[in-house]
Amino acid sequence: MPVNLKLQSFEPLIIAFCCNWCSYAGGDLAGTSRMTYPANVRVIRVPCSSRVSSNFILRAFQRGADGVVVAGCHPGDCHYTSGNYFARRRFLLLQRFLEFLGMEPERFQVHWISASEGNRFAAVMTETTDKIRALGPNRKLRDTR
Amino acid sequence: MKQLSEILKEVAFGSLSSGEAEMVIGWQKGPFWWQSFPAFITDPGGTGSLIWDPFSVSNLSKYLLKEVPEKKIALFLKGCDALGFNQMLRDGRVDREKVLLFGIPCDGLVDPARVEAAGLSKGLLQVKKEQEELIFYYKKGQRKAPARDFYYAKCLSCRYPNPVIYDQMLGEAVPCQPVERFADVSKLETTPLEERFSYWSRHFSRCIRCFACRNVCPACSCRECIFDLAEPRWLGKANELSETQFYHITRAYHVAGRCVDCGECARICPVGIPLAELNRKFIKDINELYGEYDAGADLDKEAPLLTFKTDDPDVSSGS
Repeated sequence: MPVNLKLQSFEPLIIAFCCNWCSYAGGDLAGTSRMTYPANVRVIRVPCSSRVSSNFILRAFQRGADGVVVAGCHPGDCHYTSGNYFARRRFLLLQRFLEFLGMEPERFQVHWISASEGNRFAAVMTETTDKIRALGPNRKLRDTR
Repeated sequence: MKQLSEILKEVAFGSLSSGEAEMVIGWQKGPFWWQSFPAFITDPGGTGSLIWDPFSVSNLSKYLLKEVPEKKIALFLKGCDALGFNQMLRDGRVDREKVLLFGIPCDGLVDPARVEAAGLSKGLLQVKKEQEELIFYYKKGQRKAPARDFYYAKCLSCRYPNPVIYDQMLGEAVPCQPVERFADVSKLETTPLEERFSYWSRHFSRCIRCFACRNVCPACSCRECIFDLAEPRWLGKANELSETQFYHITRAYHVAGRCVDCGECARICPVGIPLAELNRKFIKDINELYGEYDAGADLDKEAPLLTFKTDDPDVSSGS
């Protein structure tokens, strides 16, 4: 693809960390129900939303992600009883911190999606992709090598 | 302050000669007026070199991690150091039974940069503090100035000038008159996003990754640090802004909820990155979202990131 054509049609890369018990199953449901959502989203399955370390998120941005989504069970529904409650505190702080450093808040998002919410999974991913496509490519926190 | 310096020598001599402690960690004068270095003394005869002066800024409790834990160690703690010590205690990194703590009430310490900025450093031999005044000694004569004009910014916003933990308090408690500590954070929060990003990039690009901010921090006390790991190597070694950003974000995030706001990271930074503002952003947010919390001040209070409430503010961004 010629360079200028590639620039014209910017397609964001979005990394979605999905909890094994809810959001990943939600994504699965979206797939088996033949709902469509953008192919820009690359799903990484994690045992719980609280498994997602800030390292993962920062590394994703370093290696070229334009947006990162962490998705877990709704608060109160955690497979491990309380994992997402801890995650909620941590990620809210991280989100506000990244914004403090000058990162667009839309680039790092957290969503609660249950296993039965296939339509919600598709909707969230579509909306996120649209938002980040509008923002353009991410240069902040990105490795320039 | 001269008096306190004498008391300090006496208690150090006492605890070493009685065998109460095998080592005393205190401060000792360096070759220049602005240097007060940590001193490790095991011989009672050596306690005469100990000092307490307006430059005794280094937190001695972090050195406990480097000493053999079997030793009984006596050390001096200022208000900020005591918070740091408490945090290390909470993190299970020091044994309270193995240390003898002498508390020093401290209303502020002198920033050599401010002395220099005031044009008082040329030919300066010594600085002493008497009551609320600093006396600058030169070859010929001396000058006086109000002490508070020369204090570190972190000392001006200090809320714990008197140690919260000690075995013996040396000297009388000092009053506390802190200035607002979140002023800089609040100001940054209101600047436009891009300006903020370039502000921090400008600062981070100066970082030489000496890890002094990590090494000096009483909350950064992991036996195995993520930045030292070769496998997985989270922090690359290349001189690359994104690696530096990774380092600073991770450092500040790892001490969130445990940072005692002693300001040592910013004080020690050789290139002047305002690191304490990163930590204060977390402290400010934690206070706003999860209730006021002063790390190190109260050992019985639950740490904000080790607990939760079911009705915490939500992080989910709509839809």
